[in-house]
Amino acid sequence: MNISNLINNYEEAVAMLLFVIGFSNLLLQPNLIKKIIGMNIMDTAIYLFLALKGYIEGHKAPIVVDGVQSVDAYVNPIPSGLVLTGIVVSVSVSALMLSLTIRLYRRYHTLNLDEISTQLKKEGL
Amino acid sequence: MELVQNFPFLTIILALFSGPLCSILKSKAAKWVNTIVIALILVMSVAVLIFTIQTGEAYVYQMGHFSAPWGNEIRVGILEAFMAVFFCVVMLLCMLGGRRELAEEVEETKQNLYYVMVGLLLSSLLALIYTNDLFTAYVFVEINTISACGLIMIRQNGRAIEAATRYMIMSLLGSGLLLMGICYLYDLTGHLLMSNIKEQVALLQQSGEYHIPLLIAITLMSVGLAIKSALFPFHSWVPDAYGYSTLSSAAILSSLVSKGYIFLVIKIFYRVIGFDVIRESKVINVLFVFGVLGMIFGSVNAIRESNIRRMIAWSSVAQIGYIYMGFGLGTTAGMIASLFHILSHAATKSMLFISASGLTDVSSHDTDFFGLTGSGYRNKIAGVAFTAGSLSMVGIPLFSGFISKVLFASAAYDTSGKLIPAMIALALSTLLNAIYFMKTVIRIYTPPHRAGIETDTRTITVREQPQKTVVLVLFIALNLVLGLGSQPIVNLLTKGLEMFG
Amino acid sequence: MGIWILIPIFLPVVAGVLLLLSSAKADHSSDSEGAAVPEKTAKSAEGLVRLHCITAVVLVVSAVLALLAAWSGDNSYTWFELMEGIPIYFQIDDVGRLFVTVFSIAWVLVCFYSFTYMKHEGKEQRFFGFYLIVYGVLVALCFSGNLVTLYLFYELMTLTSMPMVLHSGTRESIMAALKYLFYSMCGAYLGLFAIFFLYRYCDTLTFTAGGTLNLALAEGHTGILLAAVMAALIGFGAKAGMFPLHAWLPTAHPVAPAPASAVLSGIIAKAGVLAIIRVVFYTVGADFIRGTWVQTAWMSLALLTVFMGSMLAFREKVFKKRLAYSTVSQVSYILFGLSVLSPTAMEGALLHVVFHAFIKCALFLTAGIFICCAGLSNVDQLEGIGKKMPKTLWCFTFASLALIGIPPTSGFISKWYLAQGALEAEVGAYSWAGPAVLLLSALLTAGYLLPIVTNGFFPKKKEQGENVQKEGASAHGAAITAHAAGNASAAQAADGSSAAAAAEAPLGMLIPLAVFAALAVLLGVFPNPLIRFVSKIAAAVL
Repeated sequence: MNISNLINNYEEAVAMLLFVIGFSNLLLQPNLIKKIIGMNIMDTAIYLFLALKGYIEGHKAPIVVDGVQSVDAYVNPIPSGLVLTGIVVSVSVSALMLSLTIRLYRRYHTLNLDEISTQLKKEGL
Repeated sequence: MELVQNFPFLTIILALFSGPLCSILKSKAAKWVNTIVIALILVMSVAVLIFTIQTGEAYVYQMGHFSAPWGNEIRVGILEAFMAVFFCVVMLLCMLGGRRELAEEVEETKQNLYYVMVGLLLSSLLALIYTNDLFTAYVFVEINTISACGLIMIRQNGRAIEAATRYMIMSLLGSGLLLMGICYLYDLTGHLLMSNIKEQVALLQQSGEYHIPLLIAITLMSVGLAIKSALFPFHSWVPDAYGYSTLSSAAILSSLVSKGYIFLVIKIFYRVIGFDVIRESKVINVLFVFGVLGMIFGSVNAIRESNIRRMIAWSSVAQIGYIYMGFGLGTTAGMIASLFHILSHAATKSMLFISASGLTDVSSHDTDFFGLTGSGYRNKIAGVAFTAGSLSMVGIPLFSGFISKVLFASAAYDTSGKLIPAMIALALSTLLNAIYFMKTVIRIYTPPHRAGIETDTRTITVREQPQKTVVLVLFIALNLVLGLGSQPIVNLLTKGLEMFG
Repeated sequence: MGIWILIPIFLPVVAGVLLLLSSAKADHSSDSEGAAVPEKTAKSAEGLVRLHCITAVVLVVSAVLALLAAWSGDNSYTWFELMEGIPIYFQIDDVGRLFVTVFSIAWVLVCFYSFTYMKHEGKEQRFFGFYLIVYGVLVALCFSGNLVTLYLFYELMTLTSMPMVLHSGTRESIMAALKYLFYSMCGAYLGLFAIFFLYRYCDTLTFTAGGTLNLALAEGHTGILLAAVMAALIGFGAKAGMFPLHAWLPTAHPVAPAPASAVLSGIIAKAGVLAIIRVVFYTVGADFIRGTWVQTAWMSLALLTVFMGSMLAFREKVFKKRLAYSTVSQVSYILFGLSVLSPTAMEGALLHVVFHAFIKCALFLTAGIFICCAGLSNVDQLEGIGKKMPKTLWCFTFASLALIGIPPTSGFISKWYLAQGALEAEVGAYSWAGPAVLLLSALLTAGYLLPIVTNGFFPKKKEQGENVQKEGASAHGAAITAHAAGNASAAQAADGSSAAAAAEAPLGMLIPLAVFAALAVLLGVFPNPLIRFVSKIAAAVL
């Protein structure tokens, strides 16, 4: 555990940093849109991390163009597959969150979740 | 390969496709399709359960043409099949019990969408139960979250939408952590199939390499799932989500959705990491502490709550605490106790929600505590069911809650150093449970004119609500079965857990 | 043959549940239509007779069956297994026989009394429904063959007897019922905690005279086991009104209907004693706690409660509260007798179980008569009552004398044995401190019961005729302001009865009272069969 390790693996460090930024945005921002952005940053950080894990320097993307070459020619395809699946999930979740946000905005004319809560309490529902 | 062995896969697919089918049907047709599909899945799951009990061992069902390290798998044992059966039973009862509320509270044109969500939810629950692939589990966790969110927001009032948003945000935090944990684990082991990961983890543990990353992966996954299953202190969304959604949703969310995640935790503990490794890591101690805190904190908040549905929701927070406390004990006996509590809580909590709504129906839909005065006389079956559920929650013998408490206590006994805190927490939370549940039971059986409170005078007889009556009677029966015939079930769980890892 | 045990348990429970199910309907219709419809009252009078007949028949039949089952020899029956190795198991032994006999006699007599009394309280069907259920549960409690069965029915007893406390449905009664529930549950969970540990260290939880503790297993765990036994003592002591969990008694009694108070004090408090006997003498074994801190603590708590209860009773003005404190003190006589762990003291304790059950029922029934026939709930109001209700007051006098322990009444015998046992036992300072406290408490008992008698028969003021009239009228105000009379019925009774304040109690109430009073005296005159029986029990376990 030392600094050089951190510098050598700077890509992972960046991914972690992004993850933390996204996570804390999603958790702490009162604004719904910013929360959704935070969520997307968090997801993207995970995809970055995954892609890094699958990447082998000097190897090509696992797309067969001119006949199957040896294993050494390609990067690990599984993380790429996982990233694709993850993106699909994250898109659908974002869509759901955005639709919820629209609903709330139409009702309460604010994007601030705390304000919405206070308004709800006033309504006494 | 026998026909029965295909059933787990078929049930998942059946539930998944019943969703899109419901979306193009009229709501009435969708209702029947949904009921029939759940019933069919129940029958198939029973067949699987019988098959696994007969063969006495778990089997692996290969999905597609690629074998073990690369392909995707389903793994079925007694525990999985039993859980599937139980979840189907509870889900069927919840759906039947909340039908009238659904018809009243949800717009006619949107009702079929509700059944879409229920289909997806059931499918994802079954997939979480059966899958042997960690990434598949993640995908179905997300499907579960999205459909659960749909269940909350289908009731179109501000409270429900806000609750859904809050639920979504907490869930997303949880899934982010879970996914990160899975990526870590994949990075460490190079596998996504649970059994393969376990082999590699064992090797890592032997060599002593990557100790800290492994710990981080375990922590990320446990915390992620703990957030999703509303373990204290990540419970803030619970009271709103259970309190303001439509009845079936509240019942299903509290009794099944959180249990699906908890089942995944068990799976990760036993099948992915290996229970010995988990025990050595200090993660379970953290779970124990938060479980105990949740037991106390949830009950204290339930006492302060005057809205009966929110009170039951707070009680759920406490019950989830029990389950995590059982994990935290770090013994197989503790795990069995937690598994039994999953069953007991699922059977009791949905009954409480349904009967509580029966009580508020005859109190001008007044969820306020005093409005409930005497409602046990006005809606008899709901009163009886609520009383039975309360007694079970308090832990009176004959009901299921007592058995799970005894199991927790005897599991705590075999641990070193966790006996006293577990005992104190059990005793304290039981007393707190007794306070708020018995207070409510007394309230619903207090004649209003004597207490000098003006209430609704409407009554609902058994004949006016045959469906709900049947549902509540079945729920009471389920509770009594769990309370009186617990030994065969515990034996089954023990055997299932043995072949689970 | 064992299955016969289940019949006296289930017959009253099923009958009670059926009564409750039909009562919900009846109650509701009377609620909505109001009470002032003449044809309805005629109909309800007819229904009431039917209700009384059903209750009486069911109760008498099940009491006879219970006694037959109890006295037809040792018998046992395993109903089903709650969990592996934990069966719900019934077994009849001498202690069970003693308790079930006392419980049955008192329960039937109080039932006949309440036929008349409950007319003042209303909601009879509900009351008798629960009354029957509790009887079934009590029989099961007496016949329980292991600790888990005992615990099961103990909890059920708490739950089913609670509605009797909150019968009137007023705010006070709800709070009292919650308090009762809370104390009982606290107690029961302490008990469960103990059961849990005993399960680990005993060969079996089945009751065996002398205990089943596995000393080899318990080796090295004595500390925690003793703590568990102490927890059980305090826990089950809650029902028996032992300090520190005694406070529910004085709250619950004034708001409950008089028959309910009678059985709560006379019978249900004894269920706590039964549970303690079962834990100490039939599971742990007396030898295990002899000479340990548990015994010392137990004796101290019991003596403290004896003294404290008497003192509080002495100062209390509300009649039923005074009797409740008296129960606190008297039941702790029993507990003290058990705690010294000597055969003679145990005989005294068991005798006191029997005698106190009958005496306290008699006293509470008297209090009920004063409340419902004269509207008087305060001790001060009772001046001169003896001129108007001489028979009632005579019964009360005999019961009081018995409770104080004046020969030849029954209380004397039991207290004699208690003191004798304490002196014999090797318990250090307690062998003389115990009898001293018992004597002091007996004096206090005389101090809080006899003035009622003397004032009742010989009022200080001459103009008693007007006095009673006036009190009848003022009782209304008093009934509302005095805390005892959050009980709405007392106020009602006071309203209706100021004219009839002076009449003697109806025979339906007087006869059960007289029987109790007679039992209280006669058992003291002819105690020998009973003493032989309890000495057999004591010899078996010590």
